[in-house]
Amino acid sequence: MVERNPVLTIICHLILLAGAALVCLPLYFAFVAGSHTGAEMNQVPFPLLPGDQFVENAGKAWQQGNFSRVFFNSFVVTLGIVFGKIATSIIAAFAITYFRFPFRRTAFWLIFISLMLPVEVRILPTYEAVADVAGPVRWALDVLGISSVIAALTGYRIDAGFNWSLVNTYSGLIFPIIASATAVFLFRQFFLTVPDELCEAAKLDGTRPMKFLFQILLPLSIPNIAALAIILFIAGWNQYLWPMLFTTDKNMATAIVALKNFVPVGDSEGGWEIAMAASFFVMLPPTLVILFLQRWFAKGLVDSGK
Amino acid sequence: MSKFVRGAAVAGAAACLLASLASPAWAQDKTSIEWWYANGGRVEEGIQKIIADFNASRDKYEVVGIKKGNYEETFAAMIAAYRVGQHPSIIQSSERTFLTMIDSNAIVPVSELMTQQGYTVDWANFVKPVADFYLVGDTPAAMPFNSSTAVMWYNADHFKAAGFDGPAATWPEFEKQLYAIKEKGISECAMALNSDFYWSLIEGYSSINDYPFGTKGNGFEGLDTEYVYNTTPVVQQVERLKKWIDDGVIQLAGQGLSPMQLYTSGTCSTISASTAGHADVEANAKFNWSAAFQPHEEGVEPHNSNIGGAALWVLKGKTDAENAAAAAFLNFIAQPDTQAWWSEWTGYVPVTNAAYEKMKAAGFFEKHPTREIAIKQLSQGTPTVNSRGFRFGNSNQTSAILVEEIQAAWTGQKTVQQALDAAVSRGNEVLRQYEQLHAAQ
Amino acid sequence: MQPSEATALKGAPKGALFSGWSAGLAGLLAPSEEGLKRSYFKGTGLAAALLSPQLIILLFFFFVPSWKALSLAFVQIDPFGGKSVFVGLRNFVELFASENYRYSAWLTFWFTITQNIITLVIAGALAFAIDHIVRARYAYRTVILLPYAIAPVVTGAMWAFLFNPSVGPVAGWLHAMGLPWDPNLRPWDAVVLITMASVWNHICYDFIFLTAAMLAVPQSLREAAAIDGASQWRRFRTITVPLVMPTVFYLFIINFVYGLFDTFGIIDAVTRGGPAGSTTTLVYKVYQDGFVNLNLGSSAAQSIVLMALAVLFTILQFRALDRRVNYQV
Repeated sequence: MVERNPVLTIICHLILLAGAALVCLPLYFAFVAGSHTGAEMNQVPFPLLPGDQFVENAGKAWQQGNFSRVFFNSFVVTLGIVFGKIATSIIAAFAITYFRFPFRRTAFWLIFISLMLPVEVRILPTYEAVADVAGPVRWALDVLGISSVIAALTGYRIDAGFNWSLVNTYSGLIFPIIASATAVFLFRQFFLTVPDELCEAAKLDGTRPMKFLFQILLPLSIPNIAALAIILFIAGWNQYLWPMLFTTDKNMATAIVALKNFVPVGDSEGGWEIAMAASFFVMLPPTLVILFLQRWFAKGLVDSGK
Repeated sequence: MSKFVRGAAVAGAAACLLASLASPAWAQDKTSIEWWYANGGRVEEGIQKIIADFNASRDKYEVVGIKKGNYEETFAAMIAAYRVGQHPSIIQSSERTFLTMIDSNAIVPVSELMTQQGYTVDWANFVKPVADFYLVGDTPAAMPFNSSTAVMWYNADHFKAAGFDGPAATWPEFEKQLYAIKEKGISECAMALNSDFYWSLIEGYSSINDYPFGTKGNGFEGLDTEYVYNTTPVVQQVERLKKWIDDGVIQLAGQGLSPMQLYTSGTCSTISASTAGHADVEANAKFNWSAAFQPHEEGVEPHNSNIGGAALWVLKGKTDAENAAAAAFLNFIAQPDTQAWWSEWTGYVPVTNAAYEKMKAAGFFEKHPTREIAIKQLSQGTPTVNSRGFRFGNSNQTSAILVEEIQAAWTGQKTVQQALDAAVSRGNEVLRQYEQLHAAQ
Repeated sequence: MQPSEATALKGAPKGALFSGWSAGLAGLLAPSEEGLKRSYFKGTGLAAALLSPQLIILLFFFFVPSWKALSLAFVQIDPFGGKSVFVGLRNFVELFASENYRYSAWLTFWFTITQNIITLVIAGALAFAIDHIVRARYAYRTVILLPYAIAPVVTGAMWAFLFNPSVGPVAGWLHAMGLPWDPNLRPWDAVVLITMASVWNHICYDFIFLTAAMLAVPQSLREAAAIDGASQWRRFRTITVPLVMPTVFYLFIINFVYGLFDTFGIIDAVTRGGPAGSTTTLVYKVYQDGFVNLNLGSSAAQSIVLMALAVLFTILQFRALDRRVNYQV
């Protein structure tokens, strides 16, 4: 800003402080809840000031919930989601914006429509899909009559032998979450704003498309990728319904599922203090991601206007 | 820069690939079966201990206990898994789902399994109201495990201050007591309304006072049953509760708070809740707490109350070895020792008479008299067609409908009679759908 | 109008990213727009290869399961998959005849729009404020982004607790102010509560993008306008707002999708759809019927309706609002 307007500045600070307070209120109470003993938490009205049990509760939660293993799982799955989604989306968006081919728009709409039906709705058949990934292939081969041909020629029965199950694996946790359009969408928009001159120059130079992608487009996309990585990491980390439904092996659970186990349910007695303490360290990696990656994309953007 | 990005992409892809190949290894020497359960807290500790004891006592079998969330989540997970053959051997499912499980063709009736595997279980020894609920023909289809019933918890200090010894035996008298407590200002609220009030104060009420909840013996005699509770004194009961809410005698707990906490913290003087709340109350209530029988209507001879909790089912589609393991485990559960220990740990009712006798002999009930209330209440009077339980299909759905309509009465959007009429009519639609689906086969 | 000309900034693709996004998004559905770069590569084979990972994953993990889920709309089925009865359109007819469903649709409409606008306003105010001040930006931004990191299961539980009329601290303050706050007995209070909780959860998302969009407004333009004598407010109105509009539009769509599809977890934790179904939105109903009641036929029918509504509204929003968004600076 060129001139300073002190009144406006003060108002802005007030707005931000109010915003921060609004944001932090539930967090503060979660901390309070996590820092007392169970007996203290059982009182009504609840204590309004923090106690001194936080570290102890957190320690208990960490032990009981097998969190070291569970954190590892969450990391693998979340990083898998972030990398997997960004990788497949960038190349798909590149194809859609930089190539002309029949059914190009159809391809984009097919991808876009995956935004319109959330995971909860299709969750039971998704489970089937993951447990029996080869199912549709078998069905197609059957319908086309190919499987009987193969059986006749080689004796290999497709329907009995061709099975692939992803239950209780990391892939099973990752793939269904990757199946959505947001990232393709975002990259498409961004690629459309990249000056055409860059591509013209590349074509004049005889540069192959893939080289153009890796050497020119990708570096330009770094701020985008960073922003998206933050969002995907946190969304992936906080996934509950799918991992809960899908993993039966305790060693394959994710952090959020383990956390939910601590939240008292129905007529079981309190345990809020453990759950709240646990929620803080479960929140730690996403917070670190926000802290760390935030610098990066803001920096990239501030350079504009030069 | 691009090299970095490319390197990261490759690393990420490699990580994905490697991760997909890694999968947990199973112990191969024992036959291992899974049991999916839905309890948490102290009850879960008890479950894990039973499993550990069983595993320690056998070298051929191993049970792995897995918690999948609450009853509904566990059930949904089981269904998803069943459709792809990834289901467990044993599942704990609430009493409400009984008919759905029976009609599903996905279970092996427990009595059949035990006979097949060569175990003799004395089914007649099971406490009558519990066993009757799970009977198909003469033998149970599921193994009763954690059965409970609702008792009236009360704050003895508050009652004493108001001049009473304990909750009255009839509703009108009980009402006077609650109002007295409220008027004398002894506590903020005389009664907390539990979130499962439809189970304890409506279905239970129907059972104890011998009113029909639905036709055809509450569904035992046929799928063409219909709800009729909007024509019985259940209407008066709901009106009574509404009056108490309006007068501030009852407090609704709402979300974000366990209703039992309103009681154990001393805020509310009474709550009608499961006997399984013993663990919670013993640990947290810092006043003179006690429990009593649920009240009954004036001039009515009280019958047994309704059971709650869950039972263990065995699912089809498992190998012989797995079935054998399941049978061995269920046999272990049915032992009086296990039952007695389980009941003492959790407050659930001992489901066999042998276990009950064992606990009596050990003097357990002298030290903990409130523990005996549940089983006495389950055995009071002679069971009638209206009190032996419920057999309604899709009962999760119909219970949700009932609660929703009653809430419309609480908020004043409908009168109680209107609300119950709507609940009955919507509930009957659900029953007809269930009938259509299952009668045709 | 080409999206690449959406901003007048030459040689600054990084800065244009956020404005460009929704410009392209808006342009996507306009009939004359192809969404293709003016200079493009040849190579159908390569394009197909590049598209295939995404499409294959979608095929196996979205299209096939969705088809299976939605095709159940025409049957009544036992959840175990054993028995099924074909019932034609009965599931749909029952839905539209049901007063509860119509109420849900109405509630969803108002809820989605309200939380959308409130979220944008609050996030906008915060983004403006952060854009204006100089000190402590990083600190404020970090704090305001924190709710995004919290697990939704915890968020819902916290809000339920804070506003619980018996024990919640905030409820206590409301009572002290004389308001008869009780989401258990007053449907309106419950609706307000879920709206507040949903907004709170999503402010950070809008905030991230708005902040970045405002950062993308070139300093040179602002300085030039200041030198010309324009006041703060005028500068904001004529420079920042138009450049940020495409992002605002984009967020409007995203907020809509969020309100429509992603809020059932919060509703479940905070009010469970009560009292008396007064906070049961369409997606909550889908979840209840599909997951809890295991009425897969009705749930599938509801999903089809929901999906159709979502697509319809998205298209309508584009047609209606696209004209208002100014892409030329």
